[in-house]
Amino acid sequence: MLSQRLIGRAAARSAFRPSGLPTVIPAIRSTRTFASAAEDKDLVIIGGGVAGYVAAIKAGQEGMKVTCIEKRGTLGGTCLNVGCIPSKSLLNNSHLYHQILHDSKHRGIEVGDVKLNLAQLMKAKDTSVSGLTKGVEFLLKKNGVEYIKGAGTFQDEHTVKVQLNDGGETTVVGKNILIATGSEATPFPGLHIDEKRVVTSTGAIALTEVPKKMTVIGGGIIGLEMASVWSRLGSEVTVVEFLDQIGGPGMDLEIAKATQKILKKQGIIFKTGTKVLSGNTGGELVTLDVDAAKGGKQETLDADVVLVAIGRRPYTGGLGLENIGLELDERGRVIIDSEYRTKIPHIRCVGDVTFGPMLAHKAEEEAVAVVEYIKKGYGHVNYGCIPSVMYTSPEVAWVGQSEQDLKKAGIKYRIGTFPFSANSRAKTNLDTEGMVKILADPETDRLLGIHIIGPNAGEMIAEGTLALEYGASSEDVARTCHAHPTLSEAFKEAAMATHGKAIHF
Amino acid sequence: MFTTRVLRQAAQHAERTPSIKFLGKRTIPASVDHTPQPHPASPTHTLPKSFTEGSHTSFSSYRDHAQQFGPLRKTIAASQAGIGGLAGAQLGPVGAPTGFYFDRSELPERFHRAPLTLAEIEAVETGGAAAFA
Repeated sequence: MLSQRLIGRAAARSAFRPSGLPTVIPAIRSTRTFASAAEDKDLVIIGGGVAGYVAAIKAGQEGMKVTCIEKRGTLGGTCLNVGCIPSKSLLNNSHLYHQILHDSKHRGIEVGDVKLNLAQLMKAKDTSVSGLTKGVEFLLKKNGVEYIKGAGTFQDEHTVKVQLNDGGETTVVGKNILIATGSEATPFPGLHIDEKRVVTSTGAIALTEVPKKMTVIGGGIIGLEMASVWSRLGSEVTVVEFLDQIGGPGMDLEIAKATQKILKKQGIIFKTGTKVLSGNTGGELVTLDVDAAKGGKQETLDADVVLVAIGRRPYTGGLGLENIGLELDERGRVIIDSEYRTKIPHIRCVGDVTFGPMLAHKAEEEAVAVVEYIKKGYGHVNYGCIPSVMYTSPEVAWVGQSEQDLKKAGIKYRIGTFPFSANSRAKTNLDTEGMVKILADPETDRLLGIHIIGPNAGEMIAEGTLALEYGASSEDVARTCHAHPTLSEAFKEAAMATHGKAIHF
Repeated sequence: MFTTRVLRQAAQHAERTPSIKFLGKRTIPASVDHTPQPHPASPTHTLPKSFTEGSHTSFSSYRDHAQQFGPLRKTIAASQAGIGGLAGAQLGPVGAPTGFYFDRSELPERFHRAPLTLAEIEAVETGGAAAFA
């Protein structure tokens, strides 16, 4: 009844509208505006990677008006789209394949004809990625964040011009602006990356066939993870590393040596202390001229695919930093202070594009802290307590200082180790490679560093990180009850070995 | 001798104070120093001079960038003018010229008619009787 009445009223109103009334000419509005054209945002975030989207969600939760600009077309940045997430999918499924092929028989499981369906393996990876990126988009919506798909460029200190992915452009004005543009793979001089034969990690997670031979330049985390994937799927993989140890900076030397030994046993060929001089993509195979750094002889390596994994560099392309006079350091990082402010205090910066390790979880911590600095004037990230994990098999994980760090700094330390071969759960799993190594202050027993190589190390390091963050002693960990039989008992026993003696070893 | 040592060790263990202690609910410190300090992960542990020196050379230039309700940008181009982009007088008269009409719906929302509630509509439709029904 009521709705009928309302319709009747609307119809009557239009019926009585004078027909000769001139229509309003929009030109009038362009000469006289009654309000600013675009609403100012409390926070404009350039980049929708882990740093950017986490900051956007946190700021939305804090009641701020937020815009997040991302040009990739999907949220999550390198990590979700072409980094941590897709590589973990490949690592997990290639491990399963490898285990079914080589490890199931002696466990009492006899499998028939095992075939690799690479296209399906990639599809499974893509399903994980798309599920997660869509999930992030939903979270932005849920927290009231405006998401603009386009490339942002600073026009002035408060205005960001966005070239929209769908064409056209718009501008966003922000009281605060956050640069979270992340990083990109560092190219190797003289090798053109086509993401087919010469690939970065982006191409290495999307190969359409298993290469017969693969050479990996760089024995860091990304290089070794990708080397593991393709080696398990049937490639003959050679890793060329300039330094004498694999694993990159931060990995404890003893752990790095143990890792190399285990991966070598799995079939990966290592050439450490070796320099790549040049590459040639002209022939059927890609060739690399390498030279042993310490007076060895020169040789040529050929491969179907070469993976360039020599590190990542900050990405600031197209940001227009020159328009606002922002400086970068000699490695292209945006210079910030302890509250993530650039020299223009309302423009802040977090994640891979600035100082610190290029890790998604570090970026995430910074994203929360930077919003807290903006909103509450106080935030917290402990840079001495950021874990690193390499998802090879076995996994390698560490937090805090390594033995070589402590030696270099002249800090005295005590070591406690416990091998997984003495851990009951590892034994039942027939997965006993690796150990836990704990470094503690000899006077106070306070934990200084934790290094694990072994099954589930990536999960176990959380316990070490928590202990380190709380300033625990090895005895605190050792006197904490751990469930039996679990892999985590190895952690407890290593802590026991640090200040006293382990029971089971 | 040995017994004493064992007893002493046992006593020490009984009195062991864990180094992890509950510090109470976290609070933001009452006074936080916001002067720019080097980032803890900065390799040089220093800040460039530009962080400590003001980036504006005059009060006028500072005022152009200062935030109140949006930046007071008097120097921005007229084509991109927002509030403060041009002097009010330069924008012309507020009233519409002859033959032009504004529709109320084109004004900012605060000038729109207040929306009628269902109860008000009922009251008008029934000549006020609905208010007493």
